[in-house]
Amino acid sequence: MENKKTFGEKCAAFVRKDGVRSVIASLISILGGIAVGFIVLLLLAAFDSDVTFSQALKGILIVIKGPFSSGSADNMLFQIGNMLFEAAPLVMTGLSVAIAFKTGLFNIGAPGQYLMGAMGALVVALSLPTDTIPSWIVWILALLAGTLLGAVWGAIPGFFKAHFNVNEVIVCIMTNWIAANVVSWVFLDTDFINTPETKINFIKKTSSNGVATAKLGLDKIFEGSYMDISLIIASLVAIALYIMMNKTTFGYELKACGFNRNASKYAGMNEKRNILISMSIAGALAACGAALWVLNGSQDFKWNTYMSLPAEGFNGIPAALLASNNPIGVIFSSLFLKFLNKGGANLSAQTPFNEYVSQLIVAVIIYFSGFSKLFRDMLAKKLKGNEKRDGDSLKAKGGKKE
Amino acid sequence: MNTNTTNASAGKSPYVIEMRGITKIFPGIIANDDITLQLKKGEIHALLGENGAGKSTLMSVLFGLYQPEKGEIYKNGEKVTINDPNDANALGIGMVHQHFKLVDVFTVLDNIILGVEPTKYGFLTKKEAREKVLRLSKTYGLNVDPDALVEDITVGMQQRTEILKMLYRENEILIFDEPTAVLTPQEITELMGIMKGLAKEGKSILFISHKLNEIMEVADRCTVLRKGKYIGTVDIADTDIERLSEMMVGREVHFTVDKDESKPGDVVLEVKDLTVKGHSHKKNAVNGVSLKVRKGEIVCVAGIDGNGQSEFISAITGLTKCEEGSVITLNGEDVTKKSIRYKNTHGMSHIPEDRHKHGLVLDYSLEQNLVLQRYFEKEFSHGGFIRFDKIRDYADVLIAEYDIRSGQGPVTPARSMSGGNQQKAIIARELDRPHDLLIAVQPTRGLDVGAIESIHKQIVSSRDAGAGVLLVSLELDEVMNLSDRILVMYEGEITGEFDPKKTTVQELGLYMAGAKRQNGRGEADGK
Ligand SMILES: Nc1ncnc2c1ncn2[C@@H]1O[C@H](COP(=O)(O)OP(=O)(O)OP(=O)(O)O)[C@@H](O)[C@H]1O
Ligand SMILES: [Mg+2]
Repeated sequence: MENKKTFGEKCAAFVRKDGVRSVIASLISILGGIAVGFIVLLLLAAFDSDVTFSQALKGILIVIKGPFSSGSADNMLFQIGNMLFEAAPLVMTGLSVAIAFKTGLFNIGAPGQYLMGAMGALVVALSLPTDTIPSWIVWILALLAGTLLGAVWGAIPGFFKAHFNVNEVIVCIMTNWIAANVVSWVFLDTDFINTPETKINFIKKTSSNGVATAKLGLDKIFEGSYMDISLIIASLVAIALYIMMNKTTFGYELKACGFNRNASKYAGMNEKRNILISMSIAGALAACGAALWVLNGSQDFKWNTYMSLPAEGFNGIPAALLASNNPIGVIFSSLFLKFLNKGGANLSAQTPFNEYVSQLIVAVIIYFSGFSKLFRDMLAKKLKGNEKRDGDSLKAKGGKKE
Repeated sequence: MNTNTTNASAGKSPYVIEMRGITKIFPGIIANDDITLQLKKGEIHALLGENGAGKSTLMSVLFGLYQPEKGEIYKNGEKVTINDPNDANALGIGMVHQHFKLVDVFTVLDNIILGVEPTKYGFLTKKEAREKVLRLSKTYGLNVDPDALVEDITVGMQQRTEILKMLYRENEILIFDEPTAVLTPQEITELMGIMKGLAKEGKSILFISHKLNEIMEVADRCTVLRKGKYIGTVDIADTDIERLSEMMVGREVHFTVDKDESKPGDVVLEVKDLTVKGHSHKKNAVNGVSLKVRKGEIVCVAGIDGNGQSEFISAITGLTKCEEGSVITLNGEDVTKKSIRYKNTHGMSHIPEDRHKHGLVLDYSLEQNLVLQRYFEKEFSHGGFIRFDKIRDYADVLIAEYDIRSGQGPVTPARSMSGGNQQKAIIARELDRPHDLLIAVQPTRGLDVGAIESIHKQIVSSRDAGAGVLLVSLELDEVMNLSDRILVMYEGEITGEFDPKKTTVQELGLYMAGAKRQNGRGEADGK
């Protein structure tokens, strides 16, 4: 009895740790999402005579197994390669949102920053002559150009927030749509547009100018995939940001500003500058993610974007939330989201269900991850509840004995 | 447990609330260790103890904010479980927290009715609520402006809002966690009257205060805690201040400050024609105030809360802007337009009025808070990286020197510290920073008598070490005890200057109320 109790106490102490609690909360979000997805599959099976319940069970397993449910070994490697490649931009937008969050800002402007980053990278990568300048230099310049443009784009809401106390969400939404139109306008009637009739909605691939991210043979391991070193770059950025936020005076200031703006002002920190810098960094990160994506060399960028915003920008929000805004955690949450994404694709390929079910599951996880703080608090409360209930039941037993 | 309890649960309990054997454990500390508290109907029961003794924790258990590890709560002899504040409210238990829980961007009225909004067909009917609030506010002399936003009103008015909130809910058992810490002497006298009135109406009151004279005046009985343990409960009629304080601290406490004659030196702070625009009114909050603080003296700005003291200090420290024409010089240098960082690093220390708004980053640990203005200095950083080991060492020193008590030492989240110990952390930080000028606003707010004694000593020794001290206090005892020179502020102007040895509390009171003013003082030159 006593042993059991101390074990219970140990568990409680373990769960009380903040980091552990965040991870558990994220897991609850994920499980909740999967459960709801399963229910949807079951409902579909119940109402659709084409689908059976066993297919529903098979379906959810396919989603959970992600790229590992792809059938053949070759196909699996191909899917894993693409998953790793596609995770890179998501890591970057996730970091973008997370850093802003830490400073107390909600960067919903990542889609616009993403578009500006893609534009900046494409223009430089496609217009600098690679016969005179080494292509790897062009690659670096293109990455920098995209990143810088994003920094400027992120600075706009930062500026309005810092100096006029205009809510950053509003300015972010405005800059998103401005970016969407600016990008369409810049590319309209230019040579950047791909020529074949079927491709006129897209910009030329950067590989047409000989510019592409290094692959280091990774595309050989993951045969046929887009895999390059962008995920490695993104992970290094994540680690650098982790160090910046937790080990440097600058990170100390940013977090202080996020936790309590008044106190950071009292302490003599330049809270206006911090807001501006934080949003610029956030913008740079999202844009860099886009640059990494287009500079892969094999990606089609849809240029007439004025009617839509890139999902990758918005998906940074769940990536950040699932990771409780921890930069290192963002690497894993992004990978996980892309993992499910592949599962969804396999679902539609192998069962009568369409891939939207997997998107639905992801959406539910996202929705749940928004409540992850709530889960964390509930967890804390639940622990107490358990303790008390144990006490009560003991007493109840005692009562019976009498 | 014994036969008494069985009798009690039979219905005729002499206690409206009884907390038995309450134990509450936080990481690293037993905040409440087997504590018993018995509240009689219609009595005012004081709860006394040092900072961090566990008073707020015990009250939070009663209010359903914390679940105790052990112990039971009885209401009128019947066992009750209080899982959250809603349960508490249903049992007629109301609480005014040490740190208010008001929504900043709501009006006073909205805050009062929050959670119990009167509705008709699903629509808010604020009119009746408003009338009820105004009636209560009139009956009890709790003066508030129902339409003002909470973020715009003084701490005193926020306090009154909290009290009205409880009265509005018609709670029977009222918990006041240090209600007087932020009130003016006049308001305190009023509140004492209100509390007595409420008790006479049959309401039972639990009252936390560090001010022993208040306890002597209103309370019927007093329970003393020390370091989480129950020390005893005494009838106020049978005790006195000295015995109470000894019970609480475990040693004798001196209530007067021993200090030598001040030896004023060079002017360290000079303020000329300082004007600050008012919030909502057309009148200036601070109107052309001029003063000088010399090294080696403690100058006190006394006054009733809301007469411009807060705005005056905010303008000097740089938290808010002052009007054109105002001049602030620090050590002979014009710093009117300089940044807060500049002032911080050029000799200004500042103990702020609102410890949660300005003084602390509550989500940072104690040690992180102790270097809030110094994290970038060479001592604590290297090439942009924080030297965590140095911060730890420094924090350990301050914690020992200033007796900052907490559950986990330097890594304790500031949020989980007791109010008084949060204040001690700020004082430690500001006094230990190299400074020529110490601006202290209500520095001992919420501290226990033992801590006040030592903080007063430290302020005096800061003065003796050559710093100039500008003190703002609503506490007349503190004003008389600590200062070398007193300036009274009334409606944004300095209306009188006094030598504490040659004046009386009554005299000061007249100036503070605006009934008298010295000629030529505080008249704004120019316009
Ligand atoms: N939520 C919490 N988490 C962890 N520790 C806590 C928490 N609340 C209080 N404590 C610790 O419990 C102890 C008692 O705190 P409490 O706030 O009850 O003191 P108090 O008697 O009200 O003191 P004060 O007069 O300073 O307000 C303190 O050491 C404090 O650090
Ligand atoms: Mg307290």
